[in-house]
Parts: sequence; structure tokens; C-alpha cells
Amino acid sequence: MIPATSSTPPLAELRGIGKTYGTGEHAVDALVGADLAIYPGEVMLIEGPSGSGKTTLISILGLLLRATTGSIRIGDREVAQLGERDLPALRAKTFGFVFQGFNLFPALTALENVALAIRMKDGKAKDPEGQARALLERVGLGPRAHHLPADLSGGQKQRVAIARALGGDPPILVGDEPTAALDTKTALSVMELLRGLASEHGRAVVVVTHDPRLERFADRVVRVEDGRIESNLPRLAQAS
Amino acid sequence: MWTLAKKILLHDRIKFAVASAGVSISVMLVLVQIGLYFGFMRTASTLIDHARADVWVTKAASENFDFSTPLDDRTYYRVASTPGVARAERMILAFAQLKLDSGADLGVQVIGIEPHARLMAPWNVIDGDVSRLGEPGAITVDASEWDKLHLKDVGHRTEIGGVRARVAAVTEGIRSFTTSPLVFTDLISARAFTRLPDEAENYVLVELAPGAAPARVVAALRQIPHVDAYVADEMSARTQAYWSSRTGVGAGFFMTAILGIIVGLVVVGQILYNGTLQHLREYGTLKAMGARNSAVVRVILYQALISAVVGFLLGGGLAVGARAAMAGANLSVALTPGLFVATAIVTAVMCTLASLLSIIKVLRLDPASVFKV
Repeated sequence: MIPATSSTPPLAELRGIGKTYGTGEHAVDALVGADLAIYPGEVMLIEGPSGSGKTTLISILGLLLRATTGSIRIGDREVAQLGERDLPALRAKTFGFVFQGFNLFPALTALENVALAIRMKDGKAKDPEGQARALLERVGLGPRAHHLPADLSGGQKQRVAIARALGGDPPILVGDEPTAALDTKTALSVMELLRGLASEHGRAVVVVTHDPRLERFADRVVRVEDGRIESNLPRLAQAS
Repeated sequence: MWTLAKKILLHDRIKFAVASAGVSISVMLVLVQIGLYFGFMRTASTLIDHARADVWVTKAASENFDFSTPLDDRTYYRVASTPGVARAERMILAFAQLKLDSGADLGVQVIGIEPHARLMAPWNVIDGDVSRLGEPGAITVDASEWDKLHLKDVGHRTEIGGVRARVAAVTEGIRSFTTSPLVFTDLISARAFTRLPDEAENYVLVELAPGAAPARVVAALRQIPHVDAYVADEMSARTQAYWSSRTGVGAGFFMTAILGIIVGLVVVGQILYNGTLQHLREYGTLKAMGARNSAVVRVILYQALISAVVGFLLGGGLAVGARAAMAGANLSVALTPGLFVATAIVTAVMCTLASLLSIIKVLRLDPASVFKV
């Protein structure tokens, strides 16, 4: 499903975002005047060389980092008007994160890792274990629910991490090189899963990657260079 | 959170074992050191605490119970005739030399009591006949000092201060803080053993008349020239305070206990901090996903408390074992319920403090850092 970018309101919108690290002579502009809108059902790839500002961009999008300039709108809420204390709740409600290194607690089983995230996001969540079991089924890991991360393959660990990111049913999944530590076959199957989650559930998936083979799963590819968004095109338009 | 904390701790069993060992050694040191202190203090005032006297009368300015200046019989009669005094008994407490079978001398602490004394008498008599203490030279000796004094059986004859003495009875658990064996006898023999003048004694023990106000009687007794008087509890506390503060015994025990706490603090702090560093990315992930600082801090605090509970149980067991072992060496470790409760609180506080570095690390953890591989 290719999302309608003109009529559907975006899930998140970044306008004129800039981020400067340091001050005075040591100031470094990591991001300059970035505009980006995330729509339901789309898979967006963010590409660019190392140090181009990709991580800064998704950190600001994921409300993990405050922008120096510009504004962010999540649904109908203007982030600039929110205090620091309000951000974790909005982040928990809006975003799920997937990382290159999985970041699973080695002492917890797959089920416990997912259930913990659900509990951490919402202390009053009903039946976190039941929800976690359903999410693991959804990523094809039901039979492995009681295995420790050490007993799972890289692809399986990433699926657990995706199930964890889905806890609380956030509308946007943000992945930071989620396939970088995986072999080609596993990487493609993980992207297929993410693609499916976006298509079937109207969820947006934003993935930072260096891997051009993943473009075939994307609806849109955003290219960042030297802190600027150089191109932001639908994949088919980019291919032509 | 409890489950996560427990699983993180138990996942690396060796680290958990080291943390538990650190806490348990710390707990054992605290319990044994303070228990020994309490044991010594109990021993220091054991005679006062076992006496039935309501008030103790002593020579003015006598600071130390074991080394008091003698009174004379005129004081005794004035005490006995003070309003509110129902009964007064004289008591001698002085040092003398007991002749061993080998011919060597050993210092003993002689307690001279009145014939048919009611306010001070040997307790825990396990052999012999204490009613024969009125016979010339009759003494009681504690079973724990039996070997030290080279004694063989009840009826054994020896010399104290060059005067013939004979073991009339054996007691159990009557030990002196000064380490000199305590020997009960009557006033006449005590004066002979210690070479005190005929009309001298060290204390006058007072039983109050029914309804007499202790404070009023003490005040009246203090009107007698060169005399001080204390109710029994005050006398006991004063004796303990003397040995504790004047000799540095208290400071020594408490310093070792504090060292124990520091050892536990460092070991647990180190283990928790390493564990936190090891899981920093996971904690960061939870924060990135919206977990509040308080939730992540709870995970660390629970780990600290689990270490405290396990360490306390192990350390408590070790302390009980140490008490049994030390009893064989005539050392009294007073492990009271209050001491256990206080040590449990100290252990919880110690482990909580030990987790502070980890908590600060997690509080300062920038959730955006999880994107930096």
C-alpha cells in the first residue's frame, strides 16, 4: 500500500528542523532546515553516509532529542509546547524503536522482554504477558517465546525486538540500522515483516539504513547529506 | 520490576555470589563486633545486673565499679538507718592473688558478701553448696575458670592472698570484664584475702522500703559525707559507660563495624555499578520507549534490596555460627533481636547507598544514546 501523502494527515511532521551541537567556534550543525512528514502505512528509508545527520534526524523525530530550531507536530500536538515530563508518555504512545544491536535483556526470555516493555510503557496495561505472547505470534516467534536471547539467532532476536517495539501499539516504528547485523536472507525477511506491519496496520515504519537492497520495501527514500535532506521522493519516482 | 531485578542479578551467578558474600561478610562483621561489644558491656555490669539491690552506695568519686575506694562500717550503719531503706548489705569487691598448684599466682576478683545475703549472691550454682560460703575460706568459682585456676573438684584447697581457701560451690556463666576470675566468699574471708581492714567494704547495697521513692532515698543517701548513691540501672549504665568510653573499647568495636559496612558498601556498589554498565543499552532502550526514570531506578533499587536480603540472611547465619565458636573461647556475643533488626536496617541502607552511583548513571543516561552503536 502506497500512502496518500496529500489528503491523509501525517502522523508526525518536522518543519525546518535544525540541530547544532556545541557553541561558538566549536558549534557543529548536525541538521539544517529539515522538513519531513510521516504518513500512515508508509515505509520510509533514510539513507546517507556516516555522519550525515541520519541518527540526529530520527532521534529528533522519536522525541529523544530536542531540536535547536524548527517545530515538530505529533498528530495534533505541537511538541514545543510540551514539557520534558510529558515527552516519555507521548514517546511511549507514538513510537516503537528497533536497534541494530537488539538491546534485549539477556536474563529475560523473549516473552519477558516484550512484556517488560509493555509494562514500562503503561503500568496499568492489562495482561502484559498475553499481549506479549500475541505480539511474538505476530512476528512468527510464538514457539520461541520462552527462549533467552542467547538461544535465538540474530534474525529471531530482531523479531523479538520488533515485537517489543510493537508493545502498546504505537503508530510509528523507528529502526536504526535494524538489519545491519543480519545476513542478507534474514535482513530481507525482517524488512518483509516491517513492510507487512506497515501495510496491514496503517503503521508508519521509518528505517535508517546504509543498505540499498532494502529500497524495494520502501514507499519513500529520504537522502541526508551534510545535515540536509537532499531528496525526499517516493521510491518509484526515485527509480525513474 | 522485581522479576527483572531478580533475573538480572541471578543471570550472572558468580557476580551475585560475590555481591552476596560482600554483604554477608559486612553483616557478620557488624553483628559480631556489636554483639561482642554488647557482650562485654553485659559482662562489665553483670554483678550489678544480677544483684537485687535497688540502690548502690559507693565512695564519692569512685568512677570504676571494679576499682572502687573502700567505705567503712560507720557509713554502712548510716545507710541502714536512712529513711526509706528497708535493708542494707555490705559488699567487698577487690583483687587478690590465688595460688595455683604450680606455685604461681593468678589474680582473682574477690566478692565478699554478708552471711545469708539477699541482695547479692552467686547465681547459676551447678555444683557444691553455696550455703557453706559462711565457713572460713569457702569460695565459689565459675566453671569457665576451672582450668585456668588448676582446680580439680569441689573441696579443692588453695590459697588466696596467703590465706587458705576451699572451693565450696561451682557456678556457670559468671565472668568478669577484667578477665580476672570472680570468686564469691563471705565478708570476713574477703577481707582476709584482700587484706582490707576489718571494718572496710566497697559497697553498701540497699533494698528500698515498700513505697519509698528511689530518687528521694538516693538524695538522702548522698547527704552522707563522702558517699555517692545510684539506683541500680544508673549504676549499671555508669559502669558500662566507663569501660566503653574511658578505655576506647566502644570506639574499637564500632570502628570495626563501620569498616564492615564500608566493605559491604564498596563490594555491592562495585557489583551493581558494573551490572548497570553492562545493561546500559537495555536501560536506555526502556527509557527511549517511554519508561520513566522512576521505573528504571526501581529495577536498580530492587537489585540492591535483593542483595541486602540474601546477604543479611547469610551474614546472620555466619554471625550465629561465630557466636557458637566464640562461646568456646569464653567470649560472649550478645546477638539480640534488636541488634538483628538494627543491622537489617543498616544493611538495607548500605545497599541502597551502594546503588546510588548506578542510579545516577541511569538518571543521566540519555535515551538518544541507544542510537549510538
